[in-house]
Parts: sequence; C-alpha cells; structure tokens
Amino acid sequence: MIAPPFAHLGHWYHSLLYLAPVLIVVVVLWVQERRERRRGGEGEE
Amino acid sequence: MRKRLASGVAAALAAAALLPSSAAAHGLVGKQDLPIPRWLFAWAATVVLVVSFVALAALWPRPRLERVEERRVLSVPLVLEVLCGALGVAAFAVTVWAGFEGTQTATANLMPTVVYVIFWVAIPFSTLLLGNLFAAFNPWRAVARAAGWLFARGRRGGETPAPLTYPAWLGRWPAALGILFFAWVELVYVNRDDPTILAIMALLYAGTQLVGMTLYGVEPWTRNADAFAVYFRMFSMLSPLHWRDRTLYVRPVLGGAPRLDAGAGTVPMLCVMIGTVSFDGLSQGALWTGNGAIAPELQQRFINLGFSGEVALEIAFTIGLLFMVGLVSGVYRLGVIGMHSVRTSHSTEELSRRFVHSLIPISLAYVVAHYFSLLTYQGQAMAYLVSDPLGNGSNVFGTATATIDYNLIGPNGVWYVQVAALVLGHACGLTLAHDRALVVYDRVRDATRSQYWMLAVMVAFTSLGLWLLSAAAQ
Repeated sequence: MIAPPFAHLGHWYHSLLYLAPVLIVVVVLWVQERRERRRGGEGEE
Repeated sequence: MRKRLASGVAAALAAAALLPSSAAAHGLVGKQDLPIPRWLFAWAATVVLVVSFVALAALWPRPRLERVEERRVLSVPLVLEVLCGALGVAAFAVTVWAGFEGTQTATANLMPTVVYVIFWVAIPFSTLLLGNLFAAFNPWRAVARAAGWLFARGRRGGETPAPLTYPAWLGRWPAALGILFFAWVELVYVNRDDPTILAIMALLYAGTQLVGMTLYGVEPWTRNADAFAVYFRMFSMLSPLHWRDRTLYVRPVLGGAPRLDAGAGTVPMLCVMIGTVSFDGLSQGALWTGNGAIAPELQQRFINLGFSGEVALEIAFTIGLLFMVGLVSGVYRLGVIGMHSVRTSHSTEELSRRFVHSLIPISLAYVVAHYFSLLTYQGQAMAYLVSDPLGNGSNVFGTATATIDYNLIGPNGVWYVQVAALVLGHACGLTLAHDRALVVYDRVRDATRSQYWMLAVMVAFTSLGLWLLSAAAQ
C-alpha cells in the first residue's frame, strides 16, 4: 500500500516554500483580473 | 465558471510546485555553500518575473519581435555543405562502430557519452550561440540528399517521382513521440548505457528517417518528423544567427521564435521537451526515490501484480515520466484557458498554438539548468574518448590519458548558472508571450490582462525548476 504523503511530511514540507510565491502570484493576479473585469463593464466582450 | 477556473489554476499550480524534489539527474553537483537558503532564490526569481511583466506592460506597447529584419552576413559554397554532411556521416559511423566493437563499459566507450552528452546536451547549447548547425551535419539528411542527387543524376534529366504530401494532421507528432521515446530510454530503460543497444537504436532511428524522407521528401520530413532535427531547430530559433540556403543571417535574439509554424503536434512537442527534463529532475529526488518514496511504492505494487523487479521499476518510472509531461501540459493548458477568459473570440486551440513559441526559451532554460554540470564535467571525457573510442587502449590523437577536472567550476558556480538560466529563460518566455499578445489582442489593455495568466505559468515553471534543482543538490 502506498504510504499517505503526510507520513513523510518531514521530507517535503520545505517544498511549500517554493509553492508559496506561485500561490501568492496566482491570488494577486486573480484579484486584479476580477477588479479589471468590473471596471471594464459588463457589455464588453 | 470563473471560480472553477481559478480554483483549477490554483490546484494545478500547487501541484506543479509541490510534486518534485530533485534535480540535476544527470548533473554532478557537489555540496553547495550558499549565502541564503535555496528557496529564497525562488522568491527572488518570482520578483524578477513580476518586475519584468510590469516593465513589459509599461515599456513595450507595440510588437517588436513578430517581424524582425534579418541581415545577410555571408554565404558558404556548396562544397562546404557537402563536407559538413560527410563529417556528420563519418561521426555517426564511428560512434555506431564504437558501440558495436568497443568495450561495453559505458564510461570507456564513445557511444554513451556522444549520445547523452554531446548529441543531447552540447548541440542544444551550441545552437543558441551558432544557430542550427546540426542541419548541415545531420547524417541521415546528408545521406538522403546525396541519394536523391545520385538518383536524379542516374535518370539523366528524366523525371523523378514526386514525394507524397506530408500529412498536415500528423504535423510534429512523430517528433514529439520520438523525443518522448528517447527520454524513456535515457531515464527509464534499464539498459540505457549499453553501447551495443544504443548503436542498434541509432541505426534503427537513422533507417526510419531515411524511409520517411524517401516517402515525404527530405525537407518536409526533417521539419516535422525527425525528432532531433525538430528539437534542435526549435532551440536555434532563439539564436541571433540564422542559416538558410547556405547563407548566414543575423537577427535580434528571440527574433526567430515567433516564426514557429505551430502546426499539429507542436504544443505536445514542447510539453514533452519540458516534461521529460522535469522528470529527470524529479527522479533524482527523495520524493521519488527515497525511503518510502513514490517509485519504490509503485514498483512494489507492480511486483505484487507479478512483474519482475526490473520491469516493475520501469513501469513505475514510465508512469512518472508521463505524469510530468501531463503536468507541464496541464499548467500550460490552464494558462491558455485563462487567456481565453479575457476575450472569448479566440479559441483555446488557437491561443494554445499562437503562444506555444513562448515555451521554447523555457525548454532551453530547463536543459541548461539541468545539464550544465553534466556538460561541464562529463563533456571533458570526450578528450580521451576521441583518442580511444573503443576503450581498448588506443591513443589516436595522443589525448587518451586526459582526465576530467572536477574543479573547473565549483558547486556554487553551477547553482548560480542554473538559477540565471531559469530566470532568464522564463523572462524571455514572458517577453515572447507579451509580444504575441499585442498582435492577438486589439487593445494593449486586453493583451496585458491576458498575460496575467502567462505570468502565473512562468512563475510556476520557474518555481518547479528551482525546486527540482534544490532537491537534487541536497
């Protein structure tokens, strides 16, 4: 049986530090995109 | 819909940066002593990419790379082209001969080093600086052209049968599958270093190319289906030097990439190029091969199904290889879906093809970052291998006693080159995507908005690359 990933948390938790900037950029861009959509108005296509 | 897209993007990017572990699969990296933790380099790289993105949005309002002018520099005589082709054929023949006749010790035989270091790594490096020189030395192309010339001459002006039309639907799929198969041999196959098996594979590959060129014509086949010719030509599109019809032109760096004709199979080709190198990194890390890691667990499952240990390991690695290619494809696809949401008049299929050239510098960045140390160290082995290609004690050029200098560049130097390659490659990818967006979208604002998604893709690929490299260095 494959061990659940959390069983080896100690081996890879530091990998989250590489994931963090990706998530931050995605969230910021997503929020920015929503704002721009609102500003751009509904009728725009 | 938007919510689903956003959560999908986040999940895929999260997976992209979480999966891995290691890197320099075939790189030789000593203990590094860096002034800051490795993960901080990923943060710094992200900052560089975000700043590049803002700078592009503010300072690059018109496309500059779509139609660059090329300046003719020089022409070379036909005899030189023939000579290059002959040299390519001779080098191929000597390498295959060494594979069959030489010692079967991989490190002492010319064949494995030529295939995995010179052919697979040194040529991509050189194409960036010198353009697509491989086209001139391509042995199977040279043989096919020579055969065609002799055939036409033999008919004394009589009509030669026209080749079949290369099917548009097939596109670069043969090349994508060819690179995937080569990567499978390099990373999965247990007998990957066996010189005789490599020699047989080289002959089979050359034979397949000759059949294809005979059926569909030398140039259409070479442009689409010769896996290595396509692979090297893509990298050469980033080069400031462009060889065409025995004439050398110069152009701005990156100026050739927008000319990529993204027919069928081009997107899979680039995803295979990035995904296979990524798996090379993953397969060296603790997450994949360590105690209780994925590979041993998967292998055990297949052993339980009745496979031998060796075959079970190959199956596990094949799954990993395909998974990484799928992951890279998925991240790119999500970027494209995001772009599509900005203006739905462009289909995802169209956007996928029109922006795929922005993956070329990323692919090269992965190659440089991943194989730089291999080329630096193992490339030196060519000094003694050319003098003793069979490993039988000969000393043709008097260099058989040469050794590898492992102090040529230190571990920190290797790391800085890797980081620089990744950051620069992704910044170039951003630039190409931004330049294309200015053509695809009517308004600069839409172009910039569309590139939010490509920025996310570039940051994800950069973090993934650095994560792989750092895990290998630990």
